[in-house]
Amino acid sequence: MTKAKRLILLGGIIIFALLIILWRPTILIYGIQRAGLYAAIALPMALVLGIVHIVNLAHGELLMIGAYLTYFVCSTFGMDPLVAMLPVSAVMFLLGMVVYKVTIKHTLKAPELNQLILTFGLAMVFGQSVNLIATSQPRTLSVDYVSTSLTFGKLTFGVYDFIFPVAALIILGGLLFFLRKTRVGKAAQAVGQNPKGAEIVGIDVDKIYLIIFSLSTALVGIMGSLYLTKQSIFPLVGGPYTMKSFALVAMAGIGNLPGVLFASLILGVAETFLLSFKGYGGWSNIVFFAFIIIVILIRSHRGKQI
Amino acid sequence: MKILTRIILPAIVVLLSITFPLFAGPYQQSIAKTIIIYMILALSWNILLKTGQISFGLAGFFGIGAYASVLLSLRLGIPPLLTIIVGGIITAILAAAMGMIILRLRAMYFAITTLALGEIFRVIIHNLPNFAGGAHGLILSSVIFDGNGYFTYWLFLAGAFFSIGLSYFFDKSKFHLALTTIRDNEITAKVRGIDIFKYLLIVFTITAGMQGLAGGLYSQSFGFVTPESSFSGDFILLPIAMALLGGIYTTAGPVVGAIVLGVISEYLKLYIPYGHLVVYGLIIVIVILFMPNGIVGMCSNTFRKVDQFNE
Amino acid sequence: MKKLVVLVLLLALISVSTVSVFAAGQGETGKDKPIKLGGVWPLSDITGKQGSEAAQQAVDEINAAGGVLGRPLELIILDSEFKPEKGAAAIERLATVENVDIFLGGMASSVHLGQIPILKKYKKLTVWTGAASHLAEEAIGEDADWYFHLHPWDYEQGGSYVDGWKAIVNKYSEIKVDKWFLAYEEGAFGSASFEASKVLFSEMGKFDGESFKSAAAGGGDYKAVLQHAKESNPDIFLWAGYGADALPLLQQSKAVGFEPALYVGAPPGWPADFGNSPLAEDVFLYGMWAPSMNSINPVSKKFYDGFVAKYGTKPATYFAPLSYSAVYLIKDAIERAGSMDTAALIKAMEQSEYKSALGETITFKPSKIIKHQGIEGQKILQWQNGRQEIIWPFDFSTASPVYPFPGWDNR
Repeated sequence: MTKAKRLILLGGIIIFALLIILWRPTILIYGIQRAGLYAAIALPMALVLGIVHIVNLAHGELLMIGAYLTYFVCSTFGMDPLVAMLPVSAVMFLLGMVVYKVTIKHTLKAPELNQLILTFGLAMVFGQSVNLIATSQPRTLSVDYVSTSLTFGKLTFGVYDFIFPVAALIILGGLLFFLRKTRVGKAAQAVGQNPKGAEIVGIDVDKIYLIIFSLSTALVGIMGSLYLTKQSIFPLVGGPYTMKSFALVAMAGIGNLPGVLFASLILGVAETFLLSFKGYGGWSNIVFFAFIIIVILIRSHRGKQI
Repeated sequence: MKILTRIILPAIVVLLSITFPLFAGPYQQSIAKTIIIYMILALSWNILLKTGQISFGLAGFFGIGAYASVLLSLRLGIPPLLTIIVGGIITAILAAAMGMIILRLRAMYFAITTLALGEIFRVIIHNLPNFAGGAHGLILSSVIFDGNGYFTYWLFLAGAFFSIGLSYFFDKSKFHLALTTIRDNEITAKVRGIDIFKYLLIVFTITAGMQGLAGGLYSQSFGFVTPESSFSGDFILLPIAMALLGGIYTTAGPVVGAIVLGVISEYLKLYIPYGHLVVYGLIIVIVILFMPNGIVGMCSNTFRKVDQFNE
Repeated sequence: MKKLVVLVLLLALISVSTVSVFAAGQGETGKDKPIKLGGVWPLSDITGKQGSEAAQQAVDEINAAGGVLGRPLELIILDSEFKPEKGAAAIERLATVENVDIFLGGMASSVHLGQIPILKKYKKLTVWTGAASHLAEEAIGEDADWYFHLHPWDYEQGGSYVDGWKAIVNKYSEIKVDKWFLAYEEGAFGSASFEASKVLFSEMGKFDGESFKSAAAGGGDYKAVLQHAKESNPDIFLWAGYGADALPLLQQSKAVGFEPALYVGAPPGWPADFGNSPLAEDVFLYGMWAPSMNSINPVSKKFYDGFVAKYGTKPATYFAPLSYSAVYLIKDAIERAGSMDTAALIKAMEQSEYKSALGETITFKPSKIIKHQGIEGQKILQWQNGRQEIIWPFDFSTASPVYPFPGWDNR
């Protein structure tokens, strides 16, 4: 995009944001909070997709496992979920390692589809195992501070949810730093762009895959802990987030981590915008998917056509 | 070996499948009908896969076909059998229209777009309470053939044979060469003068029609549609798993995969009532890990080794 | 080599599966031929799991007391997997392979729609504990003598709430219900609640509502709806959704600063630790049963203690005592009929007067279309001190209502 176009776009966005703040500020507030949740969950999938090149259909189930682990730790030891995040993320990292070594590693040579269905099978195993152990009855952890709110005049809104965009920014920042500044991260980027070339240069591709996958699992586990603070959890709670994350990553373009944030922002605000009109909530579901199709089509138009 | 696998075995299978209701009770027929539905979906997905395109739109087209069939029955009084066929055609036409726009996409972008379209169909139907029954769905006053087990089964079987025939046609005709070339390398295909877009559009339209047909069969034999059940995500991932486990790119693969997974899932739930899905998932994982080419792929490798050994 | 092993194992599994799918059902063991009951539930869900377990508990109790007509009862449980085609196949199997005499079970309406054509084929006595959708009633039709429906239909539930609130307002004059707001999940369950309520409650006052995406379906963000509810300033706020929505709705209500005088929730079940949350205090709910029924109803206590003793967990939803009641209704009918002839059973079932664990004495009366509807409404309860107390009907009440809903800061 040319610089002039960029400035115009930025100007348009600022004007739009100002209008919304004057008219119905909750749209922007809730939109950003919502976008943060989507983005924070989608970023780990973007990481795996960009470097290991597999679509992990068990992504949502890993979120769910992180949440259940946190629930278990908190209800047994009385810890606060935000504190429990640390041990849980360590366990999730280990889980990621095990899953990679036992299953995913062996399908990497096979066609892409095999990995897809493998993770589908894993998703089923994870989801139904937790269902067997914990039953489908939702679990909740009641934490006081999640309902903290601020009041400006007539406007009262929740502030705890800002933790999600903050988490998304931290995760994005951390990942970008990791990928661009650390040795392992730079090797990972090389592997993502050209696995064969990276191998020739001497990079241990398998180890990179292991680290990236486990890191992604740990990150999504952390998001599970955060998710538990705001929502009730049940064995199938993760499923919808797999598809949403996949859609967001596709919309941003593979390998484009900051793009995931922008995509989430657009979607979050658009959904909230529609929801603010009473009676049109049902159509906000379409917004998500319609946007994705539109963006993908526009991008393909601009790209090379075969 | 060739005579066995190419002629005798299929002939036996065909004979058994036609005479099936004579020796199998309503329960087994019920399972067979479910297997056939998934088989048609798996076969149709597999055909499009041969062009290199992965579709996640199975549930969307299935649901459209199901709703089209029910709506034609309810609103226009068209006989059930005809609604199934017309429903399939309507789905195909819809797919052709969508295909014009989205078939320029490739790989996972195409896949996500088809998934998104399916979801959009579902939400639209959900939000049309007067025309399409909204969240509650619609019911038919009677099921097709008034529930006659034999006729319903043979109708499903006809659907299965039709789908297998289509798949076989795409295997054998000049389409096959064109599609494989497109899948392998689109630049080569272009150089050879193959109109990629035209082929993709034809295949996409026909396979979507198959999925709509399956939807019509389902809705007419059970007598209802609802947004959640007719557009269920199970109709996407399970057929794909079946096609993969059976062996993609072959016609026998999805057939075998649908039968194997369908029978095993029923067996598991009889003996592990609380928790059979865990085992089902494990089986998928294990088979994918150890048989990356699917069952048919592995068997044909084994037979080839036997043949080489015999020479 | 490993590949070959897996292939061989797979082929073995396929063979065993095929054989067992064709095999005959569980044969008769022991010298008395058992009376066979066939039940279909979604076993992966807590409602179906506990529904089937409660039915099994009833069967075991009856057998321990000598069975029915001198014969033991046998319950064969199949999973509907929440899929209509699997639910239908389960009925087929129970009818033709296991040769059961009576059908029971049930939860989801859409699954039941798939089963109804099959049930109509066999016309066996059916005592169904699920399916609230009026569409299912239309599908069954008015000629199905053999069909006995225990769970209230969606429109009947709405009617019972009107009666309930009218009675409560009558008795407790400080309670006002002139302005209503219903937040409902956008699926069939929520939509039916809204449509029924809109018709019925408009006579009681101004009625408004809005849909949301349930957390059970991937939603869980109610702030927009709650904002609109707050702006409409209702006397009574209700939500119709699923258990996963319960606590987030309260938390987000607090965050938005929405404090209606009456806060009512209507999910089919509540989360495991809901009562422990300080936000739960004085939330009203719709339901059919609560453990506090034990203190006023001996059947409930017997069921509850038996369930906990047998399974080590507490019954979490009303589907458990409902299934338990279904089995006892069947037992009483068989004894009254004196035989297993379907026509005699139907006549005997029509004479049912069973004092159930839910409080009601269950009898069968016609509803809009079918002839045999068991329970015609739900109850109004309230969370007090972490327990569900029954407020209405006053015949079964275990506590008086606390009004108004305390502010978020007074907890």
